[in-house]
Amino acid sequence: MLAYSLRRLLVAIPTILLLIVACFFLMHFAPGGPFTSERPLPPAVLANIEARYGLDQPLWKQLWDYLYNIVVHFDFGPSFKFKDRDVNDIIAQGFPISLTYGSLSFLVATAVGVSLGIAAAIKHNSWIDYFAVGLGIAAQALPNFIMGPILILTFTLWLGWLPGGGWNGGQWQYLIMPVIALATSYMGSIARITRSSMLEVLNSNFIRTARAKGLPTRTVIWRHALKPTLLPVVSYLGPVFVYVLTGSVFVDIYFSTGGLGQAYVGSALSRDYAVLLGVTILYGALTVVVNLLTDLAYAWFDPKIRY
Amino acid sequence: MSLFSVKDLSVKFDTADGVVEAVKNISFDINPGECLGIVGESGSGKSQTFMAAMGLLPPAGRATGSALLNGEEILNLPINKLNQIRGDDVGMIFQDPLTALTPHLRIGQQMREVLQVHEGMQGAAARARCLDWLDRVRIPEAKRRLDQYPHELSGGMRQRVMIAMSMLCNPKLLIADEPTTALDVTVQADILDLMVRLQKDEGTAIALITHDMGVVARMCDRIQVMRLGEFVEAGDTREIFQAPKHDYTRTLLEAMPRIDAGDAPKALANVEEPMLKVDDVKVHFPIHVSGGLFGHKVPLKAVDGVSFDIRKGETLGVVGESGCGKSTLARAVLQLIEPSAGNVSWLGHPIVGLRRAELNKYRKDLQIVFQDPLASLDPRMTISASIAEPLKTYRPDLTERERKEMVAEMMERVGLKANMINRYPHELSGGQNQRVGIARAMINKPKLIICDEAVSALDVSIQAQIVALLRELQQEFGLSMIFISHDLSVVRAISNRIMVLYLGRIVELGDGEVVCSEPVHPYTKSLISAVPIPDPDVERSRTRLKLPGELPSPMDPKAALRFLPSRLSAGETDYVPKLSEVAPDHFVAEHDSLDVIMAKA
Repeated sequence: MLAYSLRRLLVAIPTILLLIVACFFLMHFAPGGPFTSERPLPPAVLANIEARYGLDQPLWKQLWDYLYNIVVHFDFGPSFKFKDRDVNDIIAQGFPISLTYGSLSFLVATAVGVSLGIAAAIKHNSWIDYFAVGLGIAAQALPNFIMGPILILTFTLWLGWLPGGGWNGGQWQYLIMPVIALATSYMGSIARITRSSMLEVLNSNFIRTARAKGLPTRTVIWRHALKPTLLPVVSYLGPVFVYVLTGSVFVDIYFSTGGLGQAYVGSALSRDYAVLLGVTILYGALTVVVNLLTDLAYAWFDPKIRY
Repeated sequence: MSLFSVKDLSVKFDTADGVVEAVKNISFDINPGECLGIVGESGSGKSQTFMAAMGLLPPAGRATGSALLNGEEILNLPINKLNQIRGDDVGMIFQDPLTALTPHLRIGQQMREVLQVHEGMQGAAARARCLDWLDRVRIPEAKRRLDQYPHELSGGMRQRVMIAMSMLCNPKLLIADEPTTALDVTVQADILDLMVRLQKDEGTAIALITHDMGVVARMCDRIQVMRLGEFVEAGDTREIFQAPKHDYTRTLLEAMPRIDAGDAPKALANVEEPMLKVDDVKVHFPIHVSGGLFGHKVPLKAVDGVSFDIRKGETLGVVGESGCGKSTLARAVLQLIEPSAGNVSWLGHPIVGLRRAELNKYRKDLQIVFQDPLASLDPRMTISASIAEPLKTYRPDLTERERKEMVAEMMERVGLKANMINRYPHELSGGQNQRVGIARAMINKPKLIICDEAVSALDVSIQAQIVALLRELQQEFGLSMIFISHDLSVVRAISNRIMVLYLGRIVELGDGEVVCSEPVHPYTKSLISAVPIPDPDVERSRTRLKLPGELPSPMDPKAALRFLPSRLSAGETDYVPKLSEVAPDHFVAEHDSLDVIMAKA
């Protein structure tokens, strides 16, 4: 397993390098640059600024300098848009916020989704099942940009229970709505996957054996059926984890949480090459690590899988 | 008093098409210590009868009537009451041991929970009881098995574990639902022996649900023959085999091929120019094994130097147990997978390594029928479209109308009704789909057909029909045929010559009748002696040749020399046993004497 993990991480290095190079060129080929604006700058000023950020150099040289600084100094460069802030600062500020509400959303979505799915499968074709399926579909149809306004309207404007936005160091009142907004649709998908997986497992031969042995129903479910049920759920959870960890632009905008999502989309719109690349690399690295963790988790769920 | 008594049991299923009655008012008794056989083909309701009694029906099923265990009603008991009976008074084992054990729990854990639930037994005492039972079902290295996961055990061993697990609480009744159907013949024979011993030593009554008359003949005191949810005949095993009263029983018995029938087709004379010549074909698959940072690959020798030829109009039967390379060999002959080495020539033309277009010229003459009839047809094509497809490829000159006529003709020839042309595979039965598979293979009048386990998934009566059809077609078109099956009785019934494979190599090749009645190689002998014969007197008086050891893995380098322990002990692990002609046209692989092989155990 150690050898396998090492091998995977070794393979990740060229993968991330390739990601950087591809993003780098894509961005530079997109029309416009960080300093194009409606009112063009005088050519001399523009040349000055570009020289300051090294944008007058040939592309390959820019790429080389960029990679060199990352590898040697772990420096992702200065932001082109925000003076006196560099990419490391921006990520250091936004990522903990995204990480906090993201991982909470992940936990909520997983816990509620899996429980709902299991309850529905065990009580197949009962009102619990219908309720869970209905809720799952409704939740799936409510992406966070719909949930955001609904929550704010209800809990802030109408009931007046919760603050309408802000972060405030991550106090619980400020966390509730972002977490629910982000978690809802994933919760719906997880519930549906869990339910159909559990139904399939309950129909399998080894469950028949377990029942034929005279085991009580709860033993059959928790000891025999749960692990195989969760296997497909885990493969769905991996990508979801990366996605929620890196935050959501909509959550950041609606609730003014100040997470990384807003910075990411903002940087793409304003061609802030450095921030955009920096966050992309972070996403890439996270994806690699989470995928590895997912694959290692399989081995725990299914002893046939050995690394 | 009878141990288990079923009265007027009916099972109904609520389906989208209305209520289906799977079991209709059946009654029977099982006495303590006896073995009752419930015999029938798929859909006869034989399994559902017992599932209903044990409360294991799917949610859509409803059971009515009565099932008394030791005089107490158990039908439709609440689940907590049933749970006291299941696994304690009644043990159950099922078909397909590969999926019957929970994959993520160790063997020991799965066994111990039975004792925990029924006897409150835990810890060392429970472990000792489990170990004792694993020993009693003759699992080698029982102690190590307790900590293994099911996938680390072979199918035969898993079925032994199932038996041990169901016997832990000394049940009075063991329900065995097709316990040996998915297993190789030698493994099947071992499991049946084991069950006979349990019945004798422990006094356990056995309800044996099966479709196999040979298994019934070996095991059962009495039988109940079931068809479409009803009993058609019941009685003493010997009486039913000798004088079946019901037509259906008679059909079942007649349809069952016997390995000792002595009416196999004779071998055809050797000719100068064979149709197909296979010369030292090898198929090696690289298998990834872990070790070091990147692991490495070792070859799995699925087929390891097989040579034979096929004469015009001849049927060559290929037999061997799972993993012996039968199917791989078939695919290599047809160039569906490229052989790693060796040559295949068709009518004198080598066909190995040809380009696709070149190969297609020969493909018209070389066809194959696969095992799973439903899975090998395109589910989105009507059966007539499937049958017509080879015509489109090889006879593009035909008009639509001519094609339709040929398809209709072929469908009629294989026994498919004309009104079925627009049906889809899922609307047909297994036997009908296999007829479609045969029609598709036959439509271009090929010269060689390979049947790869073509009748294995079918019920005996259907199997007999398909075999008869194949023989007729063979005579009509002068076909040559390679008939691959794990079922020696069927192979013998159709083959002129039989080739026995063991781990990718030929161990014996000769006239079908001779190989079956006077086998020379110890492996062939053990195979033949393990085949159950549907005749209780013959079957119970036979002695089995039981070779030491479990069915070996093709990855085990020593397994290839299982019949030459002398070479193995001399350290010649790469030695390849030579084939010698012991009689005209009868080839046997080099082997040590039986005593030397048996002494290894």
